[in-house]
Amino acid sequence: MSTNRERFKQVLHHRKPDILPWVEIIFEETLMRWFREGLPADEVSVIGYEIGRGGTFFTNWPIFKGFGKVYDRFGCQSFFGSMPLIDVGPVPRFKQRKLSETEKHADYLTETGAIVRRPKRGDFEFYAMPQFIEFPVKDKKTWEEYKTRLNPEDPRRYPKDWEREGYIERFETYQKGPTLLRFNGFYGFGAELMSIPRFVTAFYKDPELIREMLEYWEYFTIETIREVVETLKNRIDVIYWWEDMAERHGPCISPKLFREFLLPHYKRVTGFLKKNGIDRIMFDSDGNLNPLLDEIIEAGCTGLWPLEVNSGMVALEIKQKYGDKFFLIGNLDKRELAKGGEAMRKEVDSKVPILKELGGYIPSADHVIHVEFSLDCFREYSEYMKSILPY
Amino acid sequence: MGNDILEVFANTLGNLENGEKLKELLMNAIDAKIPVTEIIEKGLRKGLETIGNKYEGGEYFLSELLYGSDLTNAVFEILKPYLQQLEADVKGTIVVGTVRGDMHDIGKNVFKMFAEASGFKVVDLGVDVDPELFINAVEEKKAEILGLSALLTTTISEMEMVLEKLNSAGIRNKVRVILGGNAVSAEFAEEIGADAAVLDAVQGVQLCKEWMGE
Repeated sequence: MSTNRERFKQVLHHRKPDILPWVEIIFEETLMRWFREGLPADEVSVIGYEIGRGGTFFTNWPIFKGFGKVYDRFGCQSFFGSMPLIDVGPVPRFKQRKLSETEKHADYLTETGAIVRRPKRGDFEFYAMPQFIEFPVKDKKTWEEYKTRLNPEDPRRYPKDWEREGYIERFETYQKGPTLLRFNGFYGFGAELMSIPRFVTAFYKDPELIREMLEYWEYFTIETIREVVETLKNRIDVIYWWEDMAERHGPCISPKLFREFLLPHYKRVTGFLKKNGIDRIMFDSDGNLNPLLDEIIEAGCTGLWPLEVNSGMVALEIKQKYGDKFFLIGNLDKRELAKGGEAMRKEVDSKVPILKELGGYIPSADHVIHVEFSLDCFREYSEYMKSILPY
Repeated sequence: MGNDILEVFANTLGNLENGEKLKELLMNAIDAKIPVTEIIEKGLRKGLETIGNKYEGGEYFLSELLYGSDLTNAVFEILKPYLQQLEADVKGTIVVGTVRGDMHDIGKNVFKMFAEASGFKVVDLGVDVDPELFINAVEEKKAEILGLSALLTTTISEMEMVLEKLNSAGIRNKVRVILGGNAVSAEFAEEIGADAAVLDAVQGVQLCKEWMGE
């Protein structure tokens, strides 16, 4: 009988496990809904793995408080099993605070220096999707200022008790699922710091700034993760490289710009990882990535998530075209799953059995389990998935 | 000579060449006393058409579309003093906005810019817009088209609410409704009784032009 981690790793390496693992990311607001619908709070303990989420990344997301057991309860795994505790965000953080509010919304300064507007009508204002209204980097001057928070040598990036042998031992003995190292990609960090429009147009309007930022990001990424990568090596099962670089029509940045500006930097980071025995590198992006898949392979990435159906991503076609060059996670249409019943079963049946046989595929909704999922609906989905996961 | 300048201008814009060169060509066209309507029609719109075609054809992506928008905005800034000449040439009025609960606006803003450059008057209600505000704006501005945008799966139900309110107000048959954003699909548009759902801003503007008989 394999562990969850072993199953996950087997699929990532295109081998067949005894039972297919199933992963989800349950959105915070959804959990709040489920508590109201009867999810017992005492069985869903809050654990302390908020380190690695929220302000430590450029996702500007509310701090995630854990809820680790909820995944066990439904028989799925969270992506965020064990994560090396390093900080790849701005240090020091900006002090998160409410700046102003009106009847309709409140504006906050995030820990990464952006200003976001959150609508007030939701039950949980802090968990609602925000609108970014100001970004910290606007030009060379503001980039230079921001860079002072991106010093890879800052000792606060690693736990105070960091010590190689001790951490190797801990990762050998404590494994709650896949060990995952998550950091921000060359598009993702720029778009988060500058906004999508300013960042992508700067490739034309200020290419020197872009070159400089990308050069620095490569240096920052490699040097920040160097110690943990060289210590844990292939005990890190998968790299979760956050990018979010596409919309429904296609990538936010053209393949031409990707090749010219980004590709060399990706190659150097993946080269560093592979030199240390880490070759499962997952590219996380919503939207239609089809026009960029060749470039993503050339960049050295070996996996894709979440494969959004509404953006034209078809796991089976990618599998047929690229074979084992990618492991795939996701591609179950969240809109169909949330309908429950026959629609949910049809969606699962149309994809999971065939992809399970082809291998290198882990089922998951094609993004987070959002608030439209009722507790009953997710229970039904869970029971159905569990019935088809064993080989 | 005018046509030569405007052709170079359109090509420069369509190929996303240097913004300074574009401004220089524009100034040359103004100095040559080419009417603003002609500059916009044969220069700007033609250039934007090329950008739109390349976007739809998979040569350009959002990066190019947004840079094209930036270049166009810069051109509009220079042309501002002359724009009253265009009032009589308005193709129609479009009310746009991102629905309640949704704060995303990149696609909406690109749509607005392309629609304005194509000769539409656009009334932009912003993001997180209450359904009533859409209805009020359509009535007040006598809009021919209403554009609703939503990125989030969780907010598309708001679109249905806007459609219901258009029906209740008795003005549904006076306005065409177009849906845009990551969360919408043609099936969804049909389901809620909208006239169309489009994949992107370029398709959206093209459809609006067709509706206005262009």
